Amino acid sequence: MKNTRKAISLWNRGHWKDYVFSQGMLLIASLLLVFFISIGLGVGNILQRFLSSDLPEEQVRVTPLGVQAGFFQTERGGMEITADIMDSLAALPQVDRIDPQVYAHVPAYLRGLLGGRNYYTDITLEGVSHAFVPDSVLEHIDWNYTLSDSATKPLPIILSENLLILYNAGFAESNGLMGLTPEGVIGLEVQVNVGSSSIASLQAPPINLRAEIVGTSRNTALFALAVPIEFVEEINAIYLPDDRHTYSALMVTAHKAEDVPEIVRYAEEMGLSAETRRGIAQKAEILVGVVTAALGALAAAILFSSVASAIHTLVADLKNRSYALGVLVALGTKRERLVYIFAFQIFFMSLISTVSGGLLGCGLSYLVSTTLLNLLPVLKMAVSSLAVYPVGWLSTGLGLVLSVSTVSAWFFFRKILATPVTELLRR
Amino acid sequence: MSKPLIDAQSINKTFDRLKVLDGTNFTLSEGEFVAITGKSGVGKSTLLGVLGALDPAFTGKLILNGVNAAEATSVQLAELRREFMGFIFQDFHLLPNLSAFDNVLLPAVFCGTDTKSVRNDAAAIISRLGLRNDNTPTRFLSRGERQRVASARALVNNPRVLMADEPTASLDEESEENLFDLLDSIRKEKGFAIIAVLHSKKILSRADRILTLREGILHEKHA
Repeated sequence: MKNTRKAISLWNRGHWKDYVFSQGMLLIASLLLVFFISIGLGVGNILQRFLSSDLPEEQVRVTPLGVQAGFFQTERGGMEITADIMDSLAALPQVDRIDPQVYAHVPAYLRGLLGGRNYYTDITLEGVSHAFVPDSVLEHIDWNYTLSDSATKPLPIILSENLLILYNAGFAESNGLMGLTPEGVIGLEVQVNVGSSSIASLQAPPINLRAEIVGTSRNTALFALAVPIEFVEEINAIYLPDDRHTYSALMVTAHKAEDVPEIVRYAEEMGLSAETRRGIAQKAEILVGVVTAALGALAAAILFSSVASAIHTLVADLKNRSYALGVLVALGTKRERLVYIFAFQIFFMSLISTVSGGLLGCGLSYLVSTTLLNLLPVLKMAVSSLAVYPVGWLSTGLGLVLSVSTVSAWFFFRKILATPVTELLRR
Repeated sequence: MSKPLIDAQSINKTFDRLKVLDGTNFTLSEGEFVAITGKSGVGKSTLLGVLGALDPAFTGKLILNGVNAAEATSVQLAELRREFMGFIFQDFHLLPNLSAFDNVLLPAVFCGTDTKSVRNDAAAIISRLGLRNDNTPTRFLSRGERQRVASARALVNNPRVLMADEPTASLDEESEENLFDLLDSIRKEKGFAIIAVLHSKKILSRADRILTLREGILHEKHA
């Protein structure tokens, strides 16, 4: 409407400082809300990245309790998955199939060229079946492999994506090696030595094999390279024929997804750990959810009180200047026009404060993200930014704040301006 | 004979059980200067509030510029106040942080009318009333100057009726005379009528009619 800005400017001349505190609060609250949401979602992405899994809905990954670090912490001691346990699980009516995984109890190392430089690392091999290998990989690769194939084809390896992240962040950068992406490592040929490593060797002579990385997965054990299970069974039998046969993990496939909880319950009762797609996702969701919700609720509470404070300030100002309002009404200003002007003022001020606060919040989260990523390279390899800007949600939030403040202001101003003009003039 | 600008018949107004206006009759013709007097608390300001369409809570018949005020909507009453009348309040009711010019312009700005022409009128009336058209906030002006700013604000819309509630209260005699000299000369030019609540005998002598409010009824005595 005509002259609204001029009217606001005249009405508030000499009074702007009255709004500094409430608008400052609104600005800071918007800043905090955007910052918490942005960083909270970013942290969520990181957790999702580390904790996510490609497990099908009807699969359960059953492992011994505790952290497994492959060869360096074998399954010996504590609860181990034996053939009896596997049979017991297989006997459950809900179970359709079990695909076991086996650690090679044999020391091994890997050698190759990375970016023209020699690369060496001790490794743990874990034997997995076809069921574990993504279909996209099986289309191109024959997953069957025994020592007799070593002359004709390379040993296929599936690499943990999380291991790649750790390599990039913790090792490559500090040693001046090139960073690796999942796409970049596929097709990479390396030499695998079985029977000895930098810290251990066995009596039987080591075997040198040509190997090729054929895929990456989020489901492999962090420190193990997944290779065909027949191969691992074979080298375990060659190097440690007297060892008790145990499994590193069982991929249990249920008949249907609804059967999964029963299998989980049974495995846990036996003292084993059971991971499901839902369980893994829940870990990330709960972690991020709790932190983001707590910080978001705090910021929302501040935002709510700031909006209330902003409205209260303007209402108090109008009450203190009722005589002037009375003059305006007496001189022929329609009450609705005054309500419109003052509601527009609160809308305008809130818009400036919340948008400025939002932009500052984005800037702050960007700054924090950049700083943290520079300080912690491991994060840098997992995500490109710690700050996430859900423009739709932020715009909706902004719209909500503005709607609430404007509508509440409208309501309060109408109430004040319903006072008879003669009474306003007397105040 | 032309229709009166204001025609009030049998106006009653009570506050709780207190009857302030008791069948009051009043008419105002074009260009007329009517002074209202009476003791403090007798209801002069109340009467002005009713006649000025500020207080719709009354009974009786009130015709303002041909409009029946008792049946008019709040928007129509606002329009009457804006275009038909001008008000000078006892305490001026200026916005102290605004200059004289902005105070005069304020009603037009808030009413959303085109301020271009009002700006010229505001500058003219400010100059006519001997005020400085600068940015000095009115809180720094003398009482007499503020009175003139309030008068300028009331006159800027070229009203047909100027309502003034003790406009010269607490002004010295000279300032009082000066203000009414100015108002008289402008009234002669523009032809507006005045209803003013007054006490000063000198100023009362300028009025065409003097009405005394007593026990809720206006009693006329010729000047």
